Amino acid sequence: MDTAALSAWVREFARLVRENRELLTDLDAAIGDGDHGLNMDRGLTAVTAALDAHPPDSPSALFKLAGMTLISKVGGASGPLYGTAFLRMAAAADTVVDAPGFAKVLRAGLDGVAARGKATPGDKTMLDALSPAVDALDDALTAGEPFAGALAAAVQAAEEGREATIPLVARKGRASYLGERSAGHADPGATSVTLLLTAAAATLTGP
Amino acid sequence: MTVGLVVVSHSHPLARAAVALAAEMASAPVTIEIAAGMDESTFGTDAVAIAAAMTAADSGDGVVVLMDLGSAVLSAELALELLDAAARSRVVLCAGPLVEGLVAATVAAAAGAGRSEVAEEARAGLAGKVAQVGGSAPSGGTSSAPSPGAATPPGGTSSAPTFSPGVAVPSASAGPPTPADLDAASTVSGAPPGREVTVTVADPHGLHARPAARLVTEVRRRDVRVTLRNATTGSAWVPASSLSAVATLGALQGHHLSVRASGPAADAVTARIVALVSSPDVPPSPAAASGASSGIAIGPAVRWRPADVSPVSRAGHSAGSFAGDSAGSLAADSAGSLAKDPAGSLAGDLVSDAAAEEDRLAEALAAVREEIGRFRSPIFDAHLLLLDDLAGLTQDRIASGAAAPPAWTAAVDQLAARFEALSYPYLRGRAADVRALGDQVLRELLGLPAAGPAGSGVLVAPDLTPAQAAALDPARITGVVLAGGSPTSHAAILLKARGIPAVTGAGPAVLSIPDGTLVALDGTGEVAVDPPAALLASFRARAEAAAARNAQSLMRASAPARTRSGTPITVAANIGSLADARAAAANGADEAGLVRTEFLFLDRDTAPTVDDQAAAYRSIAEALGGRRITLRTLDAGSDKPLPYLPAPSEANPALGLRGLRHSLAHPDLLTTQLLAMARVARETPISVMFPMVTTVGELLAARHLLDKALAGSEPPGLRVGMMVEVPAAALHTAEFAPHVDFFSIGTNDLTQYTLATERGNPALAALSHGLHPAVLDLITTVCTNAQSKPVAVCGELAADEQAAPKLIAAGVRELSVAPAFVPLVKEIVRAT
Repeated sequence: MDTAALSAWVREFARLVRENRELLTDLDAAIGDGDHGLNMDRGLTAVTAALDAHPPDSPSALFKLAGMTLISKVGGASGPLYGTAFLRMAAAADTVVDAPGFAKVLRAGLDGVAARGKATPGDKTMLDALSPAVDALDDALTAGEPFAGALAAAVQAAEEGREATIPLVARKGRASYLGERSAGHADPGATSVTLLLTAAAATLTGP
Repeated sequence: MTVGLVVVSHSHPLARAAVALAAEMASAPVTIEIAAGMDESTFGTDAVAIAAAMTAADSGDGVVVLMDLGSAVLSAELALELLDAAARSRVVLCAGPLVEGLVAATVAAAAGAGRSEVAEEARAGLAGKVAQVGGSAPSGGTSSAPSPGAATPPGGTSSAPTFSPGVAVPSASAGPPTPADLDAASTVSGAPPGREVTVTVADPHGLHARPAARLVTEVRRRDVRVTLRNATTGSAWVPASSLSAVATLGALQGHHLSVRASGPAADAVTARIVALVSSPDVPPSPAAASGASSGIAIGPAVRWRPADVSPVSRAGHSAGSFAGDSAGSLAADSAGSLAKDPAGSLAGDLVSDAAAEEDRLAEALAAVREEIGRFRSPIFDAHLLLLDDLAGLTQDRIASGAAAPPAWTAAVDQLAARFEALSYPYLRGRAADVRALGDQVLRELLGLPAAGPAGSGVLVAPDLTPAQAAALDPARITGVVLAGGSPTSHAAILLKARGIPAVTGAGPAVLSIPDGTLVALDGTGEVAVDPPAALLASFRARAEAAAARNAQSLMRASAPARTRSGTPITVAANIGSLADARAAAANGADEAGLVRTEFLFLDRDTAPTVDDQAAAYRSIAEALGGRRITLRTLDAGSDKPLPYLPAPSEANPALGLRGLRHSLAHPDLLTTQLLAMARVARETPISVMFPMVTTVGELLAARHLLDKALAGSEPPGLRVGMMVEVPAAALHTAEFAPHVDFFSIGTNDLTQYTLATERGNPALAALSHGLHPAVLDLITTVCTNAQSKPVAVCGELAADEQAAPKLIAAGVRELSVAPAFVPLVKEIVRAT
């Protein structure tokens, strides 16, 4: 995968977030401050504009541009969380990213989110979708599945992780103020991170 | 050592208000950078902006960062990673509460504490509140802090002791103090050895934030270790170097405060603390009182009141409607339909268009915001925030069908009630602010007439806008005392022009003078509140002497004025309206030395035509009996924009596109004005004067347009001159002289530009007041290099008793002053 392919992934993520903006915002309104969809859309729209204005010349530059734009433009907690993910991905990316390389990049992003948010699985956060997705990607690739199949497995794991957040009581972020009342709704961050994986499956193919 | 602070918040207004609150406490400048909000109204945090703020706040001694919640913390942590390692090592992210922590951190930073100590102070910021309202202090926040008195050796000065709220255990004694209690205090464990003194708290608000901050600052600055204890409540001993700790004392008026100090400066610091605690806190005043408009006034204090809408407000509150008896008469003019409706009908029935009501509210709010914005004080920032709160509450009601006025009134009542329910009187006072603001907006909503003084006498006010000053009736308002303002502000100039004695910069204390209290003022800067008989007699004698002098000068006003050595001096009038022109004639003005033509251009939707302007100039000349009138071309700029000529906003209008610069940028406007002047110049003696000239090129460009307007035939009585306000023009007078018939020095602007001193800034009143020697030097330069062209002064200094003789000695031959001052200035000339 080259810079163009990875750019297409990021752009597809932006498009999906735009398409699901109201859903994300509604989910967040149920348990948080109701701005996740708006914030992510604002940030990713800025990312798309930045890609247009300064086309990156390497995967690393692409992720760095996305990360720096998100930390500055999103506004909510998803800004530093997604921003950290992309910045760590930038540090982990090689010049050309192959399938194992992509898994490595995504795991670096996961580690960044975990370090930044200090959340653990089960806290009802984006980690609850991202963490099983990265594990599934690794497992599938190790088992010799083709990249497309591995990505599909990752999306499935993310979706299951997202669904699993519904009964959880939030222990991090604004939703944690609601205590028991945060149960019964899917976590918006887990939902948007599922879109990130969905976008990867839709745009990325093997090396 | 100056540690910088960074405030990270989702909301920019929240951060700004917190900083304003904290800045009140700072005994020395502290750099506080804000990284908050995506913009003024969008919540959010931006790690890149936070990193920039960290860099900006760090002068090398490090930075302490206070954050609100959620993404503020995450973004601040991420921002750290964006800094280089050296800068990152100097940044401390502090888990302290945003508001209380910021106040405590500001005091500590102002006192020169290091970054870890500043952060520790901020983390302990909740201690005072916890002590006041109960509950437990957050655990863990100060876990690394040593207990008071335990880790720091007595008398140690290497670092101020830190304070941990968790260990502040009240002593067993309670109730009113007895000598035995006070003795016992010295034996409480944890109290360091040293001299002990007990002092009674004098301030009505107790040892509140400002005096507490001053106390902490005194302690931190000196080589001393001080602990305090509230002997009345039997509190624990706490370190006086910690604002958070001092706040836990809950020291109210009348409480006995025990002070123990050790170390080299113990005696001196104890004396300072005793002085601080035993006298009421006096809020800092920006500047000493300055005389703004000469004369004597004696009369009862009256206040500036908005038109009294409180009956309306009360009717809305008690009857659940907007149409009480008392409201009827007030609202009748502009809101007749409201008043005619029976009580109870208004809240729901009349409104069909929520959008229109929203617009109506938005317009009223915008008007009030503009009014408040003119005061440019942090106090009024808080008012702006209150307006936002009230607007939100009102919009909800409008959305559910209420008309704007009752929705607004209900919102005001709701918020005021919230403040009134608080137990602390100081906070209950905020309810009055809410209601005053509420009345102000309601007045706008209902289109009620403008505010005015509530009675006759000496007006006491925070400050006046030019419009308010211009509207005062000298027959009712005999004098003005302003808490703020400056003697060279436009409001002061207007008061002077109208002959109303005034003192500016008298400090906020004058605002608490009760209505009706006798106030005597001397326009040289003296104010006496409820003066004793002897002082009052002195004011009366001065008033009589002034009246006698006025009477004499008026008798001789129309005669020409010569100095004692026989030099004739033209005493002219500055005119801004036809009424001024009539007053100038009545007061014996020899000419109109400055006609401010702006009055023709303001408050209209289109520029005045040649015919409009010619008619106005003609009537001014007629009012002055055909005496020469000096017409200044339009002196506009971005500080006084014209509706039909929108000006781009400028960072510094006084140094921007104004005066002749503005006119040359709009040559059609200038040409129209010059055509009107040329037309009238064929009928009566006219001088054309260009303002704010900087270069000879500008002057020649303006003269070229004038030549075209004259179409080749120059009327014999026409003279052309320029104003000297820019120091560059004064220094190069000789180069301008061949191209003008006269110079006129605008001393207000020349002073402002020479001394780099904004004329409306009350903190600089002392600098901009009077004739500075450097300004006199420039005036002398103009007179020396004018090549026999006459030099006039048309600024406020021309009417100044001290300055006028110096101006004449420098070579000035015309003094142009406010019409009311013409007779007096002629007397000054005759005495020179």
